Amino acid sequence: MIRRWVSRYGIFVALVAECLVLALATDAFLTTGNLANVLRQNAFTAILAAGMTFAILTGGIDLSVGSVVALSGVFCADALSRGSGLAVGIGVGLLAGTAVGAVNGLVVTKVGIPPFIVSLAMMLIVRGAAYKYTDARTISGLPPSFASLGQGLAPLAIMLAVFSLAWLLLMRTPFGRHVYATGGNREAAWLAGIRVDRVLLGVYVLCGTCAGLAGVLVASRLNAGYPKAGEFYELDAVTAVVVGGTSLFGGRGSVWGTLAGAFFIGILNNGLNLFHVEHYDQLVAKGVVLLAAASLDRWRTESD
Amino acid sequence: MSLLSAAGLTKSFPGVRALDGVDFELRGGEVHALLGENGAGKSTLIKVLGGAVAPDRGEVRLDGTPLPMGDPLAARRHGISIVYQELALVPELSAAENVFLGREEGHPLLRRAEMARAAQALLDELGSHVPAAAPVRTLSVAQRQMVEIARALVGESKVLVLDEPSATLSGPEVERLFTVLRKLRARGLGIVYISHRLEEVFAIADRVTVLRDGRHVTTTALDGVDRAQLIRWMVGRDLAEEFPPRSPSPGGPVLEARGLACPPRFREASFNVRQGEIVGLAGLVGAGRTSVALALFGALDARGVMALEGRPVRFRSPAEAIEAGLGYVTEDRKGRGLFPQLGAGENMTIAYLRFFARFGLLSLAREQVAAQEIANGVDLRAAGLDQKAATLSGGNQQKLLLARYLLRPRKLLILDEPTRGIDVGAKAEIYGLMNRLTAEGLAILMISSELPEVLAMSDRVVVMHEGRTMGELARAEATPEKVMELATGGAR
Repeated sequence: MIRRWVSRYGIFVALVAECLVLALATDAFLTTGNLANVLRQNAFTAILAAGMTFAILTGGIDLSVGSVVALSGVFCADALSRGSGLAVGIGVGLLAGTAVGAVNGLVVTKVGIPPFIVSLAMMLIVRGAAYKYTDARTISGLPPSFASLGQGLAPLAIMLAVFSLAWLLLMRTPFGRHVYATGGNREAAWLAGIRVDRVLLGVYVLCGTCAGLAGVLVASRLNAGYPKAGEFYELDAVTAVVVGGTSLFGGRGSVWGTLAGAFFIGILNNGLNLFHVEHYDQLVAKGVVLLAAASLDRWRTESD
Repeated sequence: MSLLSAAGLTKSFPGVRALDGVDFELRGGEVHALLGENGAGKSTLIKVLGGAVAPDRGEVRLDGTPLPMGDPLAARRHGISIVYQELALVPELSAAENVFLGREEGHPLLRRAEMARAAQALLDELGSHVPAAAPVRTLSVAQRQMVEIARALVGESKVLVLDEPSATLSGPEVERLFTVLRKLRARGLGIVYISHRLEEVFAIADRVTVLRDGRHVTTTALDGVDRAQLIRWMVGRDLAEEFPPRSPSPGGPVLEARGLACPPRFREASFNVRQGEIVGLAGLVGAGRTSVALALFGALDARGVMALEGRPVRFRSPAEAIEAGLGYVTEDRKGRGLFPQLGAGENMTIAYLRFFARFGLLSLAREQVAAQEIANGVDLRAAGLDQKAATLSGGNQQKLLLARYLLRPRKLLILDEPTRGIDVGAKAEIYGLMNRLTAEGLAILMISSELPEVLAMSDRVVVMHEGRTMGELARAEATPEKVMELATGGAR
């Protein structure tokens, strides 16, 4: 009982506690500038993590999302720099993510390779493709209207929209229930008439599309297509999902937990910055938090 | 002089008493057959002997000294070796490496050549033609078994337990196995031999112990005992009042299977099920009954003809079978049935979610109403519809799985071991439910390894043996003896 409560709500309590501590211990944390900064900076990872939640709920993972951020940003920027309209540019970026997700999903379901390996391979392939496409150069000269997407509160609004949609999809549609069922017991899901292959394909398409969206936003933020963008973002996304209480074994977790997880990590970084903790130590701190969250999940699962 | 003796062994699992005060005695230099129906307690008994399961009560003595219970390593060190039904070899390692697995010689570097020589010597001594250097994955089943036996003989073995060693062997291979066993018996080993094939028991065993419902029935020398007597000991019990009476009025055929085959899982299944009828599919574990069910349900590719209400059908997935009006309740609730982290209600509605969706969005209220209705229908006892399925009792979990398919009208329900591991009260409720459903015109195909259940609940019994349907018995002619005859491979 306690275990379940801790795993479900622990992250929200931790997030509030973290904010309280920082608000009391520093003057800088509770300023509009700092808060806006933290929210904006972490919106991109959070959007990736929303998609990643689906993959991890099925017991899978998608390691290619960081590379997709680069590819989608590069495609989007390229289209815009050639004079395409805003909608076309954004569409191209999103589509790039969707396509990579579809490839991930098809290889996972039709060839039967574990998602870890498939998406690891795609991570390399897509990153390579992004470099190749740009000759490792930055694509700049984008219209100013595009830059507004990544400015101000726009990324935050988009992030909230993504999470609301993700929640609706997971909790209020047959597809979402099938995602939980597939992750909880794949064999049983299949025997209950769930078309498991379609569910998994859908999950990776979603994951890729979220990454495509994040890529567009990052490109807008940088006002350029940058083939190095999004490096290690996949790991940040996985960290957010796990810290948010979603089980790596699949079948249990929530998108709001993921959102809280993403911001817990983001604010942790921010706090450590405010205390002038060195970057290297920040990495250590993040690692420790991840281990703690995963141990908590282990502890929780033992009671089942 | 007894080599190994067990006294008063008792072991309960949730909902079942697997062993109930069982005594067992094994002498050196004998082959001792252990007989009983599925679920009689044989497997649990040998697991206790091998230390894989700790009994709730009772003790095991070897040469008069009590053995520590529930300690597989100690059992092995004392010389008790068990060859389980599922062979536990590492396919990528060589026969020699498998023989010495867990007891490798040489520190810190393995003495590979020495072990290979010793393993080859053991294998040759057994009269098997197994090259010790060959990877196990390249060996036949019979050869693998020899590797298992050789492995059991490393060190000082006193007791060798074989759990259905012949289940996957051909006639000549069984003969060779017997030659080996006779050799080992002459050396003074005590051998426990479990088999469903009674002719083998007569061919190899000196004495026999029969278990039934977790209790010891008899231990006796095989001289002067006949096959019919053994079967009576195994099944002999009254069909108690636990089964509600059936008054079937079968209609037209719902499902027909002709020459259904999916080698090597099963080779030939032909039978039909009519409206309002319960057909029992009987047979021993491993006869291929579950595979037949999975093939009917579109979960296994099979050859042959299958017709639903006279129309030929071929389901490529369970989804298609469900769409056509079939349901399959698995024998393996945990592994293939339940979604442990989902609530009871969600477990029931999962197969038909689209009926609760409007414009793609689920109406949780309508789902809840339907789930509650069906839960009442099967008399589900849960703290609420959101109680996690993993925390329900076995009986309620079973009701949950049944209810999953009752949300929409069904034509045929396949129940695979519908009362496995659930208590007597819940059993009676499941039987009552089966009666009600068939009275409403549903056809039920029931796979069961419990003979009393098969006899009491089936309107007809189809018996399988080693992947084939051997025959069909009408309710009136289905006696335990006849079913066992067919299930053990022959009318004689």
